[in-house]
Amino acid sequence: MSTLTVPARAAPLRALASTDHKRVAIGAGAVAFAFFVAGGVLSLIMRSQLAADGGVISQDSYNQLFTMHGSTMVYLFVVPVGLAIGLYFVPLQVGAAEVAGPRVALAGLWLLVFGGLSMWAGFLTSGGAAAASWWGFDPLSDSLHSPGSGMELWIFGVVMATAGQMLWAGCVLVTALRRRAPQMTLLRMPVFTWSMLATCLLVVFAFPALIVALALLWAQRHFGGVLGGGLGAVDYQQLFWFYGHPVVYVMFFPFIGMVGEIVATFSGRRFFGHHAFILALLAFAGLSMTVWAHHMFTMGQATNKYFALTSTALVVPAGIEYLDLLGTLWRGRLRFSAAFLFALGFIVQFLVGGLTGIILASPPLDYGLNMSYFVVAHFHYTIFAGSAFGLFGGIYYWFPKLTGALLRERLGKLQFLLMAIGTNLTFFPMFVLGAEGMTRRIALYPTSTGWQPLNVLATFGALVIALSVLLFLINVWVSLRSREPAGDDPWQGQTLEWATSSPPPRHNFDALPPIRSFAPLLDAREAAQEATARARGDVAEGAPA
Amino acid sequence: MADSLHAYEHVRGIYFPIAIGVFAVIVAALLILLVRGARRRSAPGRKSDALAFELFYAVTLACVTVVLVAITFHAETPLDRTAAHPALRIEVTAAQWSWRLVYSNGASVTAVSTWHPTPAFVPTGEQVEFVGTSRDVIHGFWVPQLHFQRQLLPGYETRFDLRFDRPGRYGGECSVFCGNQHSEMHFALQAVSPARFQSWLNSQTAQPTAAAAVAARAGRSAQGLTAGRSAGRVGAAEAAG
Repeated sequence: MSTLTVPARAAPLRALASTDHKRVAIGAGAVAFAFFVAGGVLSLIMRSQLAADGGVISQDSYNQLFTMHGSTMVYLFVVPVGLAIGLYFVPLQVGAAEVAGPRVALAGLWLLVFGGLSMWAGFLTSGGAAAASWWGFDPLSDSLHSPGSGMELWIFGVVMATAGQMLWAGCVLVTALRRRAPQMTLLRMPVFTWSMLATCLLVVFAFPALIVALALLWAQRHFGGVLGGGLGAVDYQQLFWFYGHPVVYVMFFPFIGMVGEIVATFSGRRFFGHHAFILALLAFAGLSMTVWAHHMFTMGQATNKYFALTSTALVVPAGIEYLDLLGTLWRGRLRFSAAFLFALGFIVQFLVGGLTGIILASPPLDYGLNMSYFVVAHFHYTIFAGSAFGLFGGIYYWFPKLTGALLRERLGKLQFLLMAIGTNLTFFPMFVLGAEGMTRRIALYPTSTGWQPLNVLATFGALVIALSVLLFLINVWVSLRSREPAGDDPWQGQTLEWATSSPPPRHNFDALPPIRSFAPLLDAREAAQEATARARGDVAEGAPA
Repeated sequence: MADSLHAYEHVRGIYFPIAIGVFAVIVAALLILLVRGARRRSAPGRKSDALAFELFYAVTLACVTVVLVAITFHAETPLDRTAAHPALRIEVTAAQWSWRLVYSNGASVTAVSTWHPTPAFVPTGEQVEFVGTSRDVIHGFWVPQLHFQRQLLPGYETRFDLRFDRPGRYGGECSVFCGNQHSEMHFALQAVSPARFQSWLNSQTAQPTAAAAVAARAGRSAQGLTAGRSAGRVGAAEAAG
């Protein structure tokens, strides 16, 4: 088989053609982050429209923007960025020299790029981009109500991006299951790797439902009669939410895994309740496949009580995970790095999203709050105030491993402060607006509603978030231009990725340390400390009284 | 009796304080741990498992789940039920981007893409049955003051009961995104005493021509719902072809 030779100086091309899992992951992460910035710009335009109460853009443009904002953030940013980090670190954490299926992983990157470009190309068509929300739900998305190629490009784009994510999930899953170092048993896999394993199981089992739903939608648009009959709209949503709820956990598990690693490292102690956490993750993953129709409570077409029961039962695994995170802080010796601050932000803010999720899992409350800004606030607290904070924590934590250079801590702490303020200013008012009856996905509202002040506040918060993201980009630029060398292990890490150079060589490890638990580097450090203490004790005992 | 307002307030009165309490406890525990961990000079603790405690904790959480679900089920059952003999029945037809509410005597109120719709009257203190459908895409019949909404599907009849205890104006919105002018798809209900309601309804039927037209349209839509949907599909296929 011939190999493609890439000129050494063509770095971007190399990133798009390499089969090294680390390069594929960095490429995917960079592409996903670019889409995050693009989706963020859309949200700023929407926020200015809502603060000004109209006049900035037309209703039609607004509908395209919120559709593309949601689609970009879910399909092109949060899901791929979580999987990309898994693609980079799961092989390292299990002591593997390579990911399983490197070319398949590379194909995933290309599918993400083309999928994203296809979705965004809708803005160049005469009818504009897709405007049927990130659910693309029938019959609004059929050819009668959403004619034009924007919707077609959206379908193709989402299918491509989703197919790519399934390829990545397969690679990461097989790596964790089949490519572990000899001493790395399943129960010695670190928290992050376990969270990725749960994530990939969900991707593999749930994501095909989205591709089926979109294929049916495409056939409906071109031939009709597929989603017909009175309840075709319900059929589409059953399929969509069978993907659409597990994806919520695909956007959660990788980040709570990162937070777990960060909390353990900066507490200087072993992760608390490792086995219980793994069990909770798997229970969470299994249970999350059974809750999808809580998105359909107000349709009256599902057995609401069953889905209320399963959704509320998520309290159990979520509670265990929180207990383990707090337990890891217990008797820890804390170092308040930027990564640690972001992890704490995740813990507090995700809690708001989780608790309001339990509220929305109760149909009598959901009948009053569904489709309102209360829901918008709820899921932004989980995905942005939660997962995005976990992500930035992960970036501050692992950037030195990726590049060999540390990010600036002070800029990082400032970014955290701004982002925490901005996030709560943006999303907390939305709880109030929703409870007061503000529907989601509206481009205008009468001023007599009195919603404008809170909307202005939310828009101001969004600008603060934008500033914090800008600060992050500046931090990356500064840190790469004048490098503070990180060394192999700048944080006193506990897992195998810190036992190799930064960045790791193509084959990941020259030699592996002994692996006797899920924190092999901490084992070695503790053993060394004990040896020193014993030596000192021997000297003290041996000395004359 | 389907009393959505009472059900919502009852469940909210239990769920919200619990949520706020849990948040406060966890944040307080976190703060204590952070302060102690920041001051700690001795080596970090080594204990990394407490399976018995975690098991006990999981059982506690499962009990909390059971309690929450029991409260929810108890409140939900009457909401999902419709009365066998409602005092009044209103047929709701939603379309891009309008509402049409039709009474059994043929009287009707329409609101087309407006922030300030003309209210349709309902009697206070009585069970009102709504039979809703859509002519095109999914719409959501939401009355925020009653904390109640139901989605209206094309080619399918959604039934639900509402009770208006307090007299006054109840704003209504389309809660499900339905296309270009979704923002403007409002309706309104005016709850008045049963006697006033009856005289309003009688005054509405004093326009026989309009009533007849509405009755005819209502009859046609009742028969032709599925047909209308498949006609839409044919149109869709043609548009695509």
